[in-house]
Formats: sequence, structure tokens, C-alpha cells
Amino acid sequence: MRFEFTPEESDFRRQLSAFLDDALPTGWHGPADESRDDHWALNQRIKKGLADRGWFVMSWPREYGGADSSPMMNTIFAEEMAYRRAPGHDRFGTRMLGPTLMRFGSDSQRTEHLGAIARGEIQWCQGYSEPNSGSDLASLQTRAVLDGDNFIVNGAKIWTSLAHRADMMFMLVRTDPDAAPHRGISLLLVDMKSPGIQVLPIINMAGVHSFNQVVFDDVHVPKANLVGDLNDGWRVGMTVLNFERSGIDYAAWARAALEELVSYVKNDDSLVSTVKTNPEVRGNLAALNTEIEAARLLCYDVAWRQGQGAVPSAEASISKVAGTEVYAKVLDYGIELLSMYGVLEPGSEQAELEGNFFKMRLFATSGPILAGTNEIQKNIIAQRGLNLPRAPRR
Amino acid sequence: MDFGLTQTQELLRTSAREFLADRSGPATVRAVADGDAEAAERLWKDVVELGWPALTVPEQHGGAGLSFSDLAVLLEELGASLAPVPIAESAITARILDRFGPDAIKAELLPQIAEGDVLITPAVVGRDASWDARNTAVVANRTGSGLVITGETRFVSFANQATHALTLVNTDDDQLALVVIPIWKSAGVEQTPMDHASGVPVSTLTFNEVETLASSIVITGSEAVAATEELVAAGSVARAAQLAGLARAVVDSTVEYTTGRKQFGQPVGSFQAIQHHLAEMAIAAKQVNHLAHAAAWSFSGDGYSVERAAQAKIAASEKITDLCWTAHQCHGAIGFTWEHDLHLYTRRAMAWKTDFGDAAFHRAILASAMGL
Repeated sequence: MRFEFTPEESDFRRQLSAFLDDALPTGWHGPADESRDDHWALNQRIKKGLADRGWFVMSWPREYGGADSSPMMNTIFAEEMAYRRAPGHDRFGTRMLGPTLMRFGSDSQRTEHLGAIARGEIQWCQGYSEPNSGSDLASLQTRAVLDGDNFIVNGAKIWTSLAHRADMMFMLVRTDPDAAPHRGISLLLVDMKSPGIQVLPIINMAGVHSFNQVVFDDVHVPKANLVGDLNDGWRVGMTVLNFERSGIDYAAWARAALEELVSYVKNDDSLVSTVKTNPEVRGNLAALNTEIEAARLLCYDVAWRQGQGAVPSAEASISKVAGTEVYAKVLDYGIELLSMYGVLEPGSEQAELEGNFFKMRLFATSGPILAGTNEIQKNIIAQRGLNLPRAPRR
Repeated sequence: MDFGLTQTQELLRTSAREFLADRSGPATVRAVADGDAEAAERLWKDVVELGWPALTVPEQHGGAGLSFSDLAVLLEELGASLAPVPIAESAITARILDRFGPDAIKAELLPQIAEGDVLITPAVVGRDASWDARNTAVVANRTGSGLVITGETRFVSFANQATHALTLVNTDDDQLALVVIPIWKSAGVEQTPMDHASGVPVSTLTFNEVETLASSIVITGSEAVAATEELVAAGSVARAAQLAGLARAVVDSTVEYTTGRKQFGQPVGSFQAIQHHLAEMAIAAKQVNHLAHAAAWSFSGDGYSVERAAQAKIAASEKITDLCWTAHQCHGAIGFTWEHDLHLYTRRAMAWKTDFGDAAFHRAILASAMGL
């Protein structure tokens, strides 16, 4: 066992941090709101900057322009980006679709898309969830019917992050309605400018336009945009998700929030400076520090296992549950310490810490829900991690 | 970052599992908990033969020179099997002698510790049950040849097996001193068993004008405080590692039980309510495990990380009793019986929640380290 980073890893973290010092506006505290044009422009600039430095797709093999970086380096990259609440870490293109195309894509798909992703020139979004298919994703109903050289797509995707900024979507569609649910699904690449696509904004509870419903009405998708085999989309579309489930973003956001809170409490000018000697407050802040450190180690454990060539499914679920829970907890406690001020909206002149804790807490509601609810994660932990028997279905 | 075991650690784990399954099963654990001193002695003799007391003693003093991180692997197994052996106690007191003691003490005692002829147990808690290193009610009068010690320490683990106690005393010239006091059949030393839920022997030690040589003083003044703080921190990490092992064992046995137990025609472990209980237990066990090993790693060189040590015991103290209560819920009525072994784990977890400082104690230390 060894609980320290290699010099190479520490160097990389420092370099990335220095890059973000320059790239982020003075006083930046995030999180970015990509529906704002200035934040979107910042997202694009950072993406380009990361691409120029070879970091954007460093996780990719060298033959595709990557650096074959280790899972631990990739975790450090994700952690540092999240810790600074920096926009521009494009998971959809670099971490989901890219590796999927390398494994399952055709030569022409790889030529067409991988370079554009690597250069940070294209924004992808992920069309998986549907209005009637959330945790039970395999029940998805959006239909694609082959008609000559095109699939004709009809249906709707929902909770699609960045659909309003995306050039392309990779989506799961039902291509064989008569097969068992998991066996009649295919993965398609769709140009978001195709006629018949409508992007309907959904405003989240924090008041931000972060995701969308995307409606497909007789959308023509070239047959060549099928990734992998027809009706093999469940396997193609799930492979990479397994690698992507991690709590590192949440652990990093939680650490950033706790540090802000601690320095606020320590500041003699703050409204709550009188509580810094209160044993209960000190104890609660120390307990949060402990939880965050635990969540962080769980994420490093996932990265270490990946580095050993394993696919740590249950461990990834554990890190996601721990990360999302502690993030909400830190924000709850910050709001509690701010007392009456804790619930002032970010625009309020009287708000402390710029109202950011309140806003982040509203955002953090999504953590235990998205990318597989924490209840689904616990099923995975119990069944894949502990080998408990599955309940018979209906 | 490396969460895997080194070859040495792998070997240590495998041999510990084999030995403990054979010699420290539930019958032994129950016998020692019932006060069977001979059973405890027998087990300790076997452990000495395996060389475990020598593991972390430096090679120059006759030990194997392994790190605290290596030791944590063994402690995890001791926790998982509830083995009533004072390896943690011996290793942390030896560490303090090695780190803070004069050469003469090291040369005299460390080889004997490695051989199993000397066993030193920490005795730094008084009537007030405080683990604060500045706090001692034991007094010592200086004489020409050494010290005369009077006072009481409580919650001393394995005092009945130990040859010496490592104790913080207040000298008559108003100085703190960390002293190795011979307690094995020593005149003026009285032991009273405390009937402690841990299932290991825990006693009150009373010193009535116990005479010790000046050479038994490990260190004095503010450094004695630092040494005692490190002793408590090392003890808390050792307990965290043991509790991590205990948690793993409880998760494993609960999985086994709920997989075999059938109701409504299916294993109760297939019900989501039970699966979520177990998933939460698995998360807590892993959290404590990682924090404990990260903390133990920080002790591997000179010094240690105050933050890591506190985090380990905070998490262990906060999470492991809850984990045990959830395990009882998953076991249903059978886990409520005296006959079933689960309560042995629960008792140990409850007892060690406070040993070497409870969560509140360590939260205060961590808060200070955070600059609060």
C-alpha cells in the first residue's frame, strides 16, 4: 500500500492548476452556467487550451492523439477540474463516445469524429434517458426504422445536458421492438441540425437551463451512423458507462466547498466568526473533512483498480454514493451555519458567500439521481460487489 | 496511490488468517471474554512464537523492521477475528520508546519486546477517562535513584499480561514524564479487572509508591506530551485498523446469513431492503478501511499525519457501531441471541468506539489541524 502520488502525478496536478489560474477569470468560483454565452465561451476557451496542452484527450491511446495516461492521472485531471469548478471537461466526447468509437466504430466514423473531439472542436451530448425510461433504461421506446440508406427516428430523449450547445448526439434507439428489451437497441450518431429535431429547454430547480428534452420527428439518420452492430447498442452503449461512474467530481466539489466554509468561519469579519471556537461547529467541520477524505480515497481506489486492468463496478458505485452524499451534506451544513442568510439567492446584496452555497445545494440534488440513482448504485454494490442474489423479476 | 498489498503484506495476511482461524476462533474469544486468563496466555505464547511482537521493532534491536503500514494489515486480521492479543498495544509502545526514548532504554527493552519477554501496555487514562496527553493524575517523587510513583490509571488493556505500563506522570518538580513502570508482580502495583465489553482484559492499575529507576524515564517535559500524543494517535489508528477488519467480518457474515436464510420462498438477501442495508454497510466498511490504512501509512516514516490519524478514528468511531446495529437488523431474531457470535463483534465495536479517544475527541484534534 502507498498513500501518496508519484512525482509525475503531482507535477501534472500543479501544471493543470497553474493553467487554470490563468484560464479562469479573476474571482471565478463557478459553477459554470453553460446557457450563458460568456460561460459557454469560457468553456470553449478552456477546452482549446486543454487540447493545445495535450490534456483534453490524454486518456486516449497514442494512435488517436492521446497520451495513454493512467486512470490515476485521469482521476487527478477530473478532480482538479471539479475542484476549481472549471468548465470544459467534456466527458461526453472524450470519455464516453471517443473510447466507444475506438472499440466499436467504423474506420470512417473514427476518422470523421475522433480528431474533432480531440481538438475540442465539437460538442457531443448523450441521448439515453427518456420520459418513460429512467432507471429502467432498457425499456427505452424511441424508434429507429431502417428505410433505404437512412434510419427514421421518432421519439423523445430527456434530461439531455448541453443539448442546446451540442453539435452531435450519440443516442440509444429501439431498432427491434419484438426482441427482448436489451436486445433490440442500437447506438446512433445524430447531427443536431437534422430536420425534425426540436430542443426544448428544461429549467432545473436552481433556475438554470442545464438540460433539455429533445424531440425527434421523422429525423433521417444515415445508416453509416450506426455504431457497432444493429441491435447490439446496449452492449456498445454501456461498456464505457461502466468506466465513467465515479464520485471524484463530487468529492472535489465537496472539498472546495468545505475549504470555502472553513476560511469563511475563520475570517474575523464574517457574520459567523463567533462560531469558530464553538466545539460543536469545529467538530462538525472536522467530521465533514473526514467524510470527504473517505470519499476521495474511494475514488482513488477505483482509479487504482482500473490501473490494474480491472473493471471495478461495485467500487465505482460506492464512490458515487459516498461522493454525492457528502457533497450535499457539506452544502447543507454551510447553509445551516449561515443561518437566515443561508437561503438568500445568489443575486441578493445581503447574501453571504455570494449565495453560492444555496445555489450549489439546489444543484447537488441531482447528484444522487443522475447517472444511475444511488438506489440503483446500492443494488449494484449488493449484487455485483457482495454477490447477493437478485430478486426474481415479476 | 496503491491500494494493493506488497508481497510481505500478502504473506502476513495469509499466515495471519490461517493462524487465527485455527487458534482464535469464537470459542477462544468467548473464553478470554469470560476471564479465562490461561486461554489468553496460550494464545499469546503462540503469537510470540510467530514473531508478531517483533514485526515493527527495528532490525538493529532484534525486530523485523516492518512499517506501521505493514502492521495495519495484521491488525485488520486481528480485528476481523476478534483475537484477544495485545499486538497493537505492544507495537505502539515500542514505537514510542524507539522514537523518543534514550538509547539505553531502546537497547534494553526493544530486543526483549521483540522476543516477547517484555510486553508494555499504554496506561495514560485516569478516572476522568480523558485521552488528553496533558492530563495525568499519576504523581512521581524524585529520589536519588529514580522515581516513586503513586496514582491510578484506568482502562488499561491487557494489564494482566503486560510486564510494564507506559504512563505519563507528574513529577514533584512539576514536570511531565513518560515512564516505563514494571507492573508484573511489582510491589505496590494493584490490578482491578474492569469487566469491559471489549472481551479483552481491561483493568484499573493502582500505583502505591512504586519505585522505578531513573533509567525508566522515556522522555520529559513538552516532548513527553508530544510522545503521549503520538502514542494516542498510533493507538487510535491501530484501533481503526482493527475496527476496519471487524467491519469487514461483520459484512461478510451478514452476506452469508442473508444469502442462506429464506423467507417467502427466497433468500432474504435478494430483497432490496436488505441489499441496501448491506450496501451501506459495505460503503462504511470501505471508508474506514481506506482511512485506517492511509493513516497507518503516514506513520511509516518518522512522525505521522495528525489529520490522517484523526480522520481514521473519527470514521471508525462514528460508523462501526451503526454498521453492527444494521447487521443485527439483517440477522433478525437469531442475531439477538447470546449463542450467536454477532454480539461479540458489536461489544468490541462499542468498546473501541471510545478507546484511544472517541469521535468528538478526534474531531477536536482535526479541527485544530484544519486551523479552526
